[in-house]
Amino acid sequence: MGMLIIIDQPPYGTWAGREALDMAFALAAFDQPVSLLFSGAGVNWLRKAQDTAGIEQKSVEKNLAAAPIFGIKAILADRAACERYNLDIKTMIDGAQLTDANAELMAQYSQAAFAG
Amino acid sequence: MTHSTTHATTRTATPSFTLVITGAPYSSQAPQTALSFAKATVAAGHTIDRVFLYGDGVHLASALVAAPSDETHWPKRWAAFLEEHEIPGVACIASALRRGLVDGDEQKRYQLGANNLLKPFTIAGLGEWVEGNIKSTRTIYFHAGA
Repeated sequence: MGMLIIIDQPPYGTWAGREALDMAFALAAFDQPVSLLFSGAGVNWLRKAQDTAGIEQKSVEKNLAAAPIFGIKAILADRAACERYNLDIKTMIDGAQLTDANAELMAQYSQAAFAG
Repeated sequence: MTHSTTHATTRTATPSFTLVITGAPYSSQAPQTALSFAKATVAAGHTIDRVFLYGDGVHLASALVAAPSDETHWPKRWAAFLEEHEIPGVACIASALRRGLVDGDEQKRYQLGANNLLKPFTIAGLGEWVEGNIKSTRTIYFHAGA
């Protein structure tokens, strides 16, 4: 149950993912159950040791690290997308879980919303 | 192209909607598609609890849009619809401030040279979206699309 916020866009180059993350934080702040699913290029959000100094942006890794503290239930990463971007559980931030983004997963949630 | 994502959970007997617009006017068709949907919803006797502008969608609430005379003025068109049906239109404050959309209060707070929020839109936090999400039977998203 609860909402699944799906981030399918890369962490830099667009603000859509950041604003989707803010939506997740807002739900959690109001005690609404919410989980995050990263798919497609969105799995790059989960990459460890992101260095953003060169593009003058805050690392999204720090934002995400705070997700469990704020009450976000799960940080899910689509297995197939992780393979495409050469990510595995060791190269992703702590707390991320591999999953298969399919109908079975969606059925576990009452709502789903995409980043713009 | 504009697409909307529909997520339904039945919570009350009478269908009610929260609409979320994340695509900007004139760079996406999202506000136009959302307005067509909103008109059809009202015509069918359903309720729209609120319209929430998020991300680039906040540009719809700008009072400074000056569209060419032979093009539809989407902010005015939406404002008239909201006033006619007394539907709250809320722009996300974080999205709005980043994009230069401010009301009188925010102008004072940030000591800015002007304000540009079109009536009857208001500026508020994401809590408005959360509340709509809880209250409405359906929340529908209008994104910029691919």
